[in-house]
Amino acid sequence: MLDILLSQTASGLVLGGLYVLIAIGLSIIFGLLGIVNFAHGAFFTLGAYLALTLVQLFGWPAVILSPVIVGGIGMLAERLLIRRLYDKEPLISLIVTFALALLIEATVRLIYGGIGQPFSPPPFMAGIFLWGPVLITKYRAGVLVTTAVVLLLLWLFLEKTPFGRILRAGSRDPEMVELLGINLPRVLTWVFGLGCAISGIAGLLAAPLWTVTPAMATNAIMPAFVVVAIGGLGSFAGAVIAGLLVGVVVALTIQFWPEASGAVMYLFMALMLLVRPRGLLGERWERFE
Amino acid sequence: MTRSTGLLIKRRTTLLGAAGLAAAPFAAPHIARAADPIKIGLLLAKTGQIAGQTEYLANGSFLALEQRNKMVMGQPAELVWLDEPSPQGAVQNMQKLVQENKVCAVLGGSLSSNALGEEAKAAELKIPFVCDNAAATEITGKNCNRYTFRLNTPVAVQQRMLAPYALKSGKKWYHITASYAFGQDILRSSRALLKEAGGTEVGFDEVPLNTADFSSFILKIRQAKPDVVIGGLSGGDLTTFLKQWSELGMKGKIPFLEIAIGDTDIWGVGAEAANGTFTKLWDANNPKNTPEEKAFAEAYSKKHGKPPADKAWMGWITARSLFESIDAAKSTDADKIIEALEHWKVPAGDSSYSYRKFDHQMLVRNLAVSVKEKITDKWNFFDVKATLPENPADLDKVFGSQEEIGCKMG
Repeated sequence: MLDILLSQTASGLVLGGLYVLIAIGLSIIFGLLGIVNFAHGAFFTLGAYLALTLVQLFGWPAVILSPVIVGGIGMLAERLLIRRLYDKEPLISLIVTFALALLIEATVRLIYGGIGQPFSPPPFMAGIFLWGPVLITKYRAGVLVTTAVVLLLLWLFLEKTPFGRILRAGSRDPEMVELLGINLPRVLTWVFGLGCAISGIAGLLAAPLWTVTPAMATNAIMPAFVVVAIGGLGSFAGAVIAGLLVGVVVALTIQFWPEASGAVMYLFMALMLLVRPRGLLGERWERFE
Repeated sequence: MTRSTGLLIKRRTTLLGAAGLAAAPFAAPHIARAADPIKIGLLLAKTGQIAGQTEYLANGSFLALEQRNKMVMGQPAELVWLDEPSPQGAVQNMQKLVQENKVCAVLGGSLSSNALGEEAKAAELKIPFVCDNAAATEITGKNCNRYTFRLNTPVAVQQRMLAPYALKSGKKWYHITASYAFGQDILRSSRALLKEAGGTEVGFDEVPLNTADFSSFILKIRQAKPDVVIGGLSGGDLTTFLKQWSELGMKGKIPFLEIAIGDTDIWGVGAEAANGTFTKLWDANNPKNTPEEKAFAEAYSKKHGKPPADKAWMGWITARSLFESIDAAKSTDADKIIEALEHWKVPAGDSSYSYRKFDHQMLVRNLAVSVKEKITDKWNFFDVKATLPENPADLDKVFGSQEEIGCKMG
């Protein structure tokens, strides 16, 4: 039994890692901009399709450009669209970002067509690691390591750099930050781009595992919202813990009660919100209350 | 005064003219009707995991109309395409097609869950419905009705065709099926066949739609050590499963078999990861295709720049059956179209395509296909292993008798 539990936990951690990456961008954008970004899944899709194109044109090393381009598109979207939503009702931002998601999906469908695009892990990451009873593919192990590195770099950036301090201060008291002479609108553009770029990283990592279709965001956006709700809106550590927990819970449910595997994360969320409405590490923020 | 009179005359003239124009359709109804296009509904999903297949189904139907110069019954004709966002949404859109768009018949039904609702609505609205993709046995089985015709071979029949190939590898089967009508139907049929063959089910999983990660399911299959895995996944879910099956090193270790694969499902898997044995209705590279089918494939490639997937053929043949039946009926009256569809028959090599009168199921031989050892053409993944049933005379028997399938149209 222990071997089954270990194998499923390893599998769940990889899935959870992807959920964390998708959710963390969503959480950062909400935490710092106050926007619930329904288009977040579409940026995940863009990350996957750009990776596919870059591999076809220039080979595997070029995939690193995928999140950079996604981040750039995110910054453009912020300048043209999202910026106008900061002082509006939350409902308007939901509708506008939902429309943006549909626009991005339709554009991808127009360029690449509706059918799945073949995309396999790179040849140098083919094969599996077998440690006793635990089986994990080299690519999935790579996804776990990459996720850990991205999260570490992001944490260092937010906690240890002057720019990170401005971001955190801006999310709590934007007026005070502007009074200090900091160009807050420019900072917010970068934040939105950063959130989208992280979603793009998740898309590029998921592309060799999932089916690359214009609708692939459907499989990403709902778990991301669940993870953010469980972890606590705007909480970095909360999203990490919740994402990994959701991944492992789903994997173990598949082993012992497969029929419930689709619903278990929602049940988990409902229980969490009943016990702690702000989520695992959610704080009371005067700006949103 | 003059000015006033002039205005009065102009007003009268204008009123008379307007009245005359408004009355024109009543004075010459035949001429007006002749100019109206005949509208035929197309009810196929535009988004979601099945959208990759429906794009081809729609392409095939539109091409069938273009090959007739967009004319049906000697009149201009058009396809009105509405979405199937969900089973409820699909039923609402069928009502919209009939009541607002005034279509005389509907083509579509991309998923079994949608088609089961649509066929009930078709009976309620008394409109001919030709289902082009859904394979749930009940559609032309116990849920059948006189307004519904169906192309895809029912799950139970396809499963019977595939079973001998699965039994060649062993009698310990593992089922991984979607937890909706199509998958549940496969699970039921496959279990019955396995029991009949004296085999054992070593495990099963009913998987939620749109599952992104199958690794935990694959680990379970690995632990169970079956001789064969029988799939019942559809669209993008099957593509994702096969990708991850290969990624987790299972390709070639345990045979994977499933009915009703679509070319688009396997194209998305890619040449490196694709594997398995399947049934399908048609293959663009099958040398036994009829001259009409070869002409269709050529026209499709010319128009879309790539060969037709099997789904494009499915959209094409169902649309063709409907258009030709409306021609034969010489009317858009539902009862006359139904009667013509019941008599529609075209040659298909050493057999023919036709709908059975008692259940409105199209009789069509299936292909057993396996993924090639080496794929050199990104549009050609399969070797055709057999045409089933091997004897065309067995076609009617393979599809089951009226008593066996339980269709009572009343």
